Amino acid sequence: MTRHPISLTVNGEVITAEVRSAQLLSDFLRTELALTGTKRGCETGTCGACSVTMDGDVVKSCLCLAVQADGAVIETVEGLGTHDAPSALQRAFMEHGGLQCGYCTPGFLMVAKDLLSRNHDPDEAEIRAALSGNLCRCTGYQGIVDAIAAAAKELRHGH
Amino acid sequence: MRDFRFLTPPTLPEALAMLADLGEDACVMAGGTALLLGMRQRMLSPDSVVSLHRLQALKGITVDPTQGLTIGALVRHADVARSPEVQRHYPMLADMAQRLANPQVRNRATIGGNLCYADPATDPPTCLIALDAEVTLVGPDGTRRLAMRDFAVDYYTTALEPGELLTTIHLPPPDTMRVGLYRRLLRTPAEHRPVASIALTLLRNGDLVSDARLVIGAATPAPQTMIRAQAFLEGRRLTPDTAAEAAALVAAEIAPLSDGRGDAAFRRQIAQVNTRRMLAELGGHDWRLE
Repeated sequence: MTRHPISLTVNGEVITAEVRSAQLLSDFLRTELALTGTKRGCETGTCGACSVTMDGDVVKSCLCLAVQADGAVIETVEGLGTHDAPSALQRAFMEHGGLQCGYCTPGFLMVAKDLLSRNHDPDEAEIRAALSGNLCRCTGYQGIVDAIAAAAKELRHGH
Repeated sequence: MRDFRFLTPPTLPEALAMLADLGEDACVMAGGTALLLGMRQRMLSPDSVVSLHRLQALKGITVDPTQGLTIGALVRHADVARSPEVQRHYPMLADMAQRLANPQVRNRATIGGNLCYADPATDPPTCLIALDAEVTLVGPDGTRRLAMRDFAVDYYTTALEPGELLTTIHLPPPDTMRVGLYRRLLRTPAEHRPVASIALTLLRNGDLVSDARLVIGAATPAPQTMIRAQAFLEGRRLTPDTAAEAAALVAAEIAPLSDGRGDAAFRRQIAQVNTRRMLAELGGHDWRLE
């Protein structure tokens, strides 16, 4: 089967590659680019563990072909911060118990980033609505909601 | 999922020519969120996928006082929800688009793709029928315009002919006298697909109802217009008793689905209960007190 050339920007870096038509964006990010922060969970669009932003909007990378990302600007959890210099959002997740096993965390971080880019002062209902496409099997939702509210506050006050 | 030819026509005429050429071996892809699930589950195994993402002409929203609202088929649900014009003039549509599926899907999935896939467990068709929407279809034999109620034919079945594409969704100019409510019912708050959806619009003639639209979807193979309840409501005051009587007619008229998410009796009951509540609400009554 023919391979399709694609060119996209991932975490600020321009990537060119050739992909099979049936390759999912989630699979491309993990296996071709070794960006394994993006998780494969249900792979049916339910759990949100594979969430990344695409041209600024959070999407599920298991519901998107790699060829559909041709020309797009993708950001994964690896683009948010580093171990030594985590982003305000990542720090808030650590401080407020926003993760237990951690498997769903990259997805939650990406939807939280999308939310805070549009809404600097979300109330709890807005935060919960933004999280409605993500599942946490540890059911640690309250910590996640608290972390996002705290990060929003910190970002508003401009640390 | 097996590999396929991935085709990206740059213009509508080229897309139509490709579809005519490929026939039944091709699937059309808009956002792809539903199609990819079908392909991953091997319910669909097309040789070719024709992606419409380069057709910029189908990505706009315009509002015109005489023409009404025009939405390109490739407009994403998030774009409908965030459009200030839609929010202002068609709040029921914006509200529906804001709650459909989940945020990530709303950022990828398109309104045209949704209508053409015709999955019953979704929101737009029910809402659009109650808003008197029409759709433009373009195919090898030219262009035609259909009422949305005639487009949504049955379970996963639309009026699209082979080789035809849905290009545009039209809504009539906003009518400030018409009020509306859209409600989606979920089995649990974590679900993304409604088990029933109810769209209600009506004109107020003083105290009296006229020209009601009451459409129920997700509970049925395709959205069903509640003809008996609509006729019953004509010229009546929206009292709690009227609401209850109209809701009883819905229960008698609806032909619900039974599937793994709910049997017909359950869906009939939630359709009846919620129809009564919505009518009571529009009449200014608090159903919780009755």
